[in-house]
Amino acid sequence: MNIKTSNLSFKYDKKAAKPVLNHLNLDIKEGTVNVLLGLNGCGKTTLIKLLAGLEKPTEGSVIYGDKNLKDIKIRDRAKIFAYVPQQANVTNDIPVRQYLSYGTTNTLAFYEHPGKEEMEKVEATANRLGISHLLEKNLGEISGGELQIVLIACALIQNTEILLLDEPTSALDMKNQNLVLSILKSVAKEGKTIILSSHNPNHALFLDSNVILINNGVVCDEGKAKELIKVNKLIPIYGEHVCVSKDLGYEEISFK
Amino acid sequence: MNDKKIKKRTIIFLTASIVALLIFFILGLMLGRFNIAIDDFFKAIFTSDASLDTQRSIIVNLRLPRTIMAAFVGMGLSLSGLLYQETFRNKLVSPDLLGVSTGASVGAAIAIVLGLSSAFISIFAFLMGLLTVFVTVMISKLFRNGSSTILLLSGIIVGGFMSAILSLIKYMSGDITTLASITYWLMGSFESANMSRDYILMGVVVVCIVVLLLITHPINLVNQGKAEAQTKGINYNFYRGLIIVLSTVLTAISVCFCGTVSWIGLVIPHIVRLIAGRDAKRTIPLCITFGATFMIVVDILSRTFTDSEIPLSAVTGLLGTVIFVIILIIKRRKLNEHKDI
Repeated sequence: MNIKTSNLSFKYDKKAAKPVLNHLNLDIKEGTVNVLLGLNGCGKTTLIKLLAGLEKPTEGSVIYGDKNLKDIKIRDRAKIFAYVPQQANVTNDIPVRQYLSYGTTNTLAFYEHPGKEEMEKVEATANRLGISHLLEKNLGEISGGELQIVLIACALIQNTEILLLDEPTSALDMKNQNLVLSILKSVAKEGKTIILSSHNPNHALFLDSNVILINNGVVCDEGKAKELIKVNKLIPIYGEHVCVSKDLGYEEISFK
Repeated sequence: MNDKKIKKRTIIFLTASIVALLIFFILGLMLGRFNIAIDDFFKAIFTSDASLDTQRSIIVNLRLPRTIMAAFVGMGLSLSGLLYQETFRNKLVSPDLLGVSTGASVGAAIAIVLGLSSAFISIFAFLMGLLTVFVTVMISKLFRNGSSTILLLSGIIVGGFMSAILSLIKYMSGDITTLASITYWLMGSFESANMSRDYILMGVVVVCIVVLLLITHPINLVNQGKAEAQTKGINYNFYRGLIIVLSTVLTAISVCFCGTVSWIGLVIPHIVRLIAGRDAKRTIPLCITFGATFMIVVDILSRTFTDSEIPLSAVTGLLGTVIFVIILIIKRRKLNEHKDI
């Protein structure tokens, strides 16, 4: 399913002079991996929230396939896309297993609870992501990085064709960053569409993704990571200290 | 803790509380200022022995209606407390969060000042309780912000306003009998219980419970907040609205028949969560049995030890505070870690 935004604008305060997102037009193709890059406050998180239907556009629209997002029922949205927030605002005192089972909600009637089949999905995904040992712990008892992986696991359990992830690696150490990005790479191979925001251009290179560069609420450039992640393209956004480092034997975006 | 262990523990406590509920229900029919011995009790119930007519009359006409009322008020207030605490993600809120109890108190006080019958006191209390919550919701809409904090704040504002109105009514009520009636009503009592009131109470509580048991999974998701619920496929605004309406009706219907009863809506949900965690399919059934049992015990205590009845809120306050301290001691490790209780 393709995703389009048409003249998408958003203001948190309707009286604000400057919108957070300003007439944004995107055309995201089915089965692609797309990384949103840009400075803090440029509108990446807002864009992901608009795509997830958690904020209403001030102007313009979000189109999934041929349907406007506002015309898609909440239950049906959860069958199309899963969303991973930057910071989870979940209750601390429920077990990871119980939280992960919420990912199966889109397959249940309102009066049903996750059963044996759903719990098997939970266990299989937990095994795949290496978090089986956390299943009986409460969300408040695991580290920030582990929580991030749990949130991603829950999104994968939802089994949607589109994944929306807001800075999924922000709380992770190098090892877990690699784990999450590797998982996303393997998920992408299954044909899923992935849209994630990140502060690290190297993640786009690792994922060999499309890149959408956002600056001041508008798309300032887009294209394949290998073509777009160049010093001359990044300096206008991140500043003149951006450079290419070859210390590790391969090209990596770094700072002087 | 392992999910299977929690499930097993929930089943054990649910079974034990059902047994306790049955035992205390029978004790509620036997005990009071006029105690009925166990053999007389069963003879009065199962035989038509004329020598036990007094006992039979006390059991059927006085104690049965008030014990049923105690059980259903206990269920209603406990459930309402649990739902408010979960929906607003604040374990320190009580069923009066949106001003329903203070509103009901103003309604009852107006009816008492007007010299209306006890049936009208209940009707005034019920309607005024609902009206107050309606005003709370309308005020929160003025802020054009759908957050729970704004609704909570509106509840505090409207609750405060209603408390002021209640103080004014008490101050201006004139004669001492009216003031005493208002004060007595405010402290809660099952004295006005009768079977026709019980049928209304039971009907409303049972309907609310059936709906709640059907939507336990959406309740769990609503507890996780709007973003979580909505992106998992749950219509957050609809279910949150439904939960608030059901909780409000449960509180209003309970309060209108027996006056305000404090602490139960705060304490029972905490006990239940200690046993069953935070899964609504486990906490709701436990809240029903625990709340009913607790309220029957409170009713027995309120009418057994003194010549005149002790107001319910005095008993629930005494028991509730002690139980709450015990709960805090049990949870002290989490408190020390500054974690959510």
